[in-house]
Amino acid sequence: MNEQLVTCAALTKRYGGKRALAEVDLELGRGRIVGLLGPNGSGKTTMIKILCGLLQPTEGAVLVDGQPVGPYTKSIISYLPDRMYFADWMKATDLFDLFADFYKDFDRTKAMSMCASLGVTPSDRLKSMSKGTKEKVQLVLVMARKAQLYLLDEPIAGVDPAARDFILSTILTNYNDEGTVLISTHLISDIEKVLDEAVFLKEGQITLHDTVDNIREREGKSVDALFREVFRAANYEGGAF
Amino acid sequence: MFGKLLKYDFRSMIKQFAFIWPAALVLAIVNRFTLDGLDSTSSVGETTAGIAMLVYVAILISMFIVAVIFVIQRFYKGLLGDEGYLMHTLPVKPWQLIGSKLACALVVTVVNILVAILSILLIVPWAASDLKELFEVFQYLFTHWNIQATQVMIAMLEFVLFSLTSFAVGYLHLYLSMAIGHLFNKNRVAMSVIAFIAIQVLLSILGNILARPFSDLIYPAFSRLDGMPAYHISMWVLIAGEVLLAAVYFVGTEYILRKRLNLE
Repeated sequence: MNEQLVTCAALTKRYGGKRALAEVDLELGRGRIVGLLGPNGSGKTTMIKILCGLLQPTEGAVLVDGQPVGPYTKSIISYLPDRMYFADWMKATDLFDLFADFYKDFDRTKAMSMCASLGVTPSDRLKSMSKGTKEKVQLVLVMARKAQLYLLDEPIAGVDPAARDFILSTILTNYNDEGTVLISTHLISDIEKVLDEAVFLKEGQITLHDTVDNIREREGKSVDALFREVFRAANYEGGAF
Repeated sequence: MFGKLLKYDFRSMIKQFAFIWPAALVLAIVNRFTLDGLDSTSSVGETTAGIAMLVYVAILISMFIVAVIFVIQRFYKGLLGDEGYLMHTLPVKPWQLIGSKLACALVVTVVNILVAILSILLIVPWAASDLKELFEVFQYLFTHWNIQATQVMIAMLEFVLFSLTSFAVGYLHLYLSMAIGHLFNKNRVAMSVIAFIAIQVLLSILGNILARPFSDLIYPAFSRLDGMPAYHISMWVLIAGEVLLAAVYFVGTEYILRKRLNLE
């Protein structure tokens, strides 16, 4: 077992002429909850997609548990994308079968009990479910795994504040505590209380990576307040403020 | 892992064809009886027979159209659309994803053809004596024309193999075109169509250039052969050509999915 769970070295991703990630160096340990924080378009989704193998970096290297991205790293990563990724004709239980087949760490019993506590009927067809219920099914799939690395791309962006707490508590009560959770978001105040570490991503570059306690101690303010300060310039660049 | 992928691709196949395959066979049996109406003088019998035949033919044609749509959709939606987010994060290799889709497409094709043949056999009012006559025809051919049964079997196998590889080439041509189309950030469907045509054009240009030297190369050897040996060799040359083309398409598609994946 490697000491570092995630190692990115000089990771760069270009889309045509546009640079989405610029020589990112990042190391993440185990058993942490890490916030990948940045405004829209700062490279959060690109970063996560590279880690789970949906994108290839233009330059640089990524290792997850000491291995380059491939079937092994995919088997220890549990990924929640920012969209629905299943065929509509399936039932939630069909998806549980699929996950149980492909991921050794998928716990079906846990998935069923999570469904019960989230008020999802797993024998219903996905087609007949509301958008919110489908999102819950996807969250159940991802969190019912005992993964080494959870990559959660904007898990709370599209829902109301009450549901945010619900989703966060589902994540916190179910993740494998030897594994690491990487949550990308721009809604920091909602998740700050659960984070161990924060990574600030600005225009494809990491401007800060530290523990939340250190940040609070050093800056004398919350991560949320610091985030607003750091990204204000970017948000209002050229504006009247 | 490949077996597990196949399981899920076959499941979606059965879902798609669960109605149309039995429907084709049932309609064939219906036609078996309504066809008698054509001989009768009643216009009711004639109309019924006409409608039953029309529905049967429509089902048979749509069966093949649905197959092509199925092959395209399972690849485009399943690997390059939103479902791709699930499939490409499974702990499998890209070639396994493509291979599973291709295997499923070929099985759909074979079952379609078998259902079509079986349905025709069901429509024709066979009698035991017909089978006996057919058997006698074959026996006559084998004894009087000096055709060996094993040679015929081998020739048929070669034909089946050639057909299968041709279908594989056709489907992989579609896959490669869609993979190329998905590299663009806009108008992906249009780009896939353009890629499809471009590959076809490129292939016919290559064919024109290579046809002459190739025939010069093999003609001397062929001119000394006749009958079955010539047939066997030309079939294997054709099969080898199809396998080569399929491999090129497969490798191209695999490279794009492995190195250039660009989901929306």
